[in-house]
Amino acid sequence: ENISDFSLNITDCTQVVVPEEVFFTVAAAGILENLLVLIAVVRNKNLHLPMYFFICSLAISDMLGSLYKTLENIFIILCKMGYLTRRGDFEKKLDDAMDSMFILSLLGSIFSLLAIAADRYITIFYALRYHNIMTLRRALVILAIIWTFCAGSSIAIALFSYEAATVIPFTILFPLMMFFILCLYIHMFLLARSHAKKIASLPTSTVHQKTNMKGAITLTIFLGVFLCCWAPFVLHILLARFCPHNPYCACYMSIFHVNGTLIMCNAIIDPMIFAFRSPELRSTFKKMFCCAR
Amino acid sequence: MSALRLISNRTSQQALSNSDYTWEYEYYEYGPVSFEGLKAHKYSIVIGFWVGLAVFVIFMFFVLTLLTKTGAPHQDNAEPSEKRFRMNSFVADFGRPLESERVFSRQIAEESRSLFHFCINEVEHLDKAKQSHKGLGLESNIHFQEVPRSSGMFEEDLNCLTKFNIPNFVNTEQNSSLGEDDLLISEPPIILESKSVMQSSHRILD
Repeated sequence: ENISDFSLNITDCTQVVVPEEVFFTVAAAGILENLLVLIAVVRNKNLHLPMYFFICSLAISDMLGSLYKTLENIFIILCKMGYLTRRGDFEKKLDDAMDSMFILSLLGSIFSLLAIAADRYITIFYALRYHNIMTLRRALVILAIIWTFCAGSSIAIALFSYEAATVIPFTILFPLMMFFILCLYIHMFLLARSHAKKIASLPTSTVHQKTNMKGAITLTIFLGVFLCCWAPFVLHILLARFCPHNPYCACYMSIFHVNGTLIMCNAIIDPMIFAFRSPELRSTFKKMFCCAR
Repeated sequence: MSALRLISNRTSQQALSNSDYTWEYEYYEYGPVSFEGLKAHKYSIVIGFWVGLAVFVIFMFFVLTLLTKTGAPHQDNAEPSEKRFRMNSFVADFGRPLESERVFSRQIAEESRSLFHFCINEVEHLDKAKQSHKGLGLESNIHFQEVPRSSGMFEEDLNCLTKFNIPNFVNTEQNSSLGEDDLLISEPPIILESKSVMQSSHRILD
């Protein structure tokens, strides 16, 4: 059969190989880390807050992404060893299920990031009423709605992925959400800046004025990591749909495994930039590990 | 002929390295792709994509840096030390140890026109906060989350605090960075609002 890479031309783009050990290590690290975050939030009553629930939702979607990759590799190994048949119905359904798990992970990540940004936005702009607007119950309802929607869409996309129409909304959703999240954060920044100016103009202020880089760095890291980890894969899907026979597109698609590894790296980095920033969560971790010893 | 099956297909092919293997029932055939006569480098999409992404992220960083620039001139340092106060805007300064002195003054509260939330959180003050939130003087750090969480209690606390005219304080240490430090990582902040700026707060909030 035919793989474009295996034609005789020596200038072909061959598949870039990522060793399976690397795959499994990265995936396992991602799963473990996010599991720890979930356990810490569940165990510590102080962390039963809407903000941490949204962080948990992000951890779950990261876990699903890594799990998908792990399961896929395991099944391929099983097929290699002959335990699974190649064209069976069961394998086909399994593959469908895994595809939908992966899309669920992507959609879950996007919506969790959106929920976290919206929560922070409400915290800042509706601060007096935050406690009434974002009750625990509402946060759980919002999460339930998000996950139901993601599950439904992922199943629909996986089932109807042969239609051209499903790829387009999927790839439009991605930049749209990023843009929306960016707008929310920029608005927060503008408010912070005006506040800082007001404080600085107080006669009693002893403030040193300088550019504060940390906020900019933090936000750039958030969005930059998400973009760099997911955008390559989204582009892959687009190219596979629209120009599979083009040599340039084929060369891009040959780095598919690197893109998959990037997604798993995202699962490792996300807890570091969201969950581990909270001192409460960090102290919960320390307690967990100290007690375990 | 789905993109997703295509993906699974590629993965399986790579893993089995060169064997003719079809994982998927629906197998997406590329057909031979001709690499002859390419005008640009064959990895041009890859390079172009990553360069574009890097440029975008750097551009975004510069825009955000510009946004966080406070731009106000350095204030004169003539006031007496007792007027020095801490302002902590938006930020839970994670990782930085809490300073020992926190001084709020009523006067400053009334002068302050800006409404804010500041994150006043340090975990080690949890107990202090719980004990002292009722008889709240003008100096304490309260962690928002450690205050009892039911909204009824919160309202009560808020009333209690506003009675004392606790200002929105914004934290600036001499040696600390100002303003939007860890803006985005904060714990949900507590808003302590002085009566005099209630109106401005509504204006700003809505």
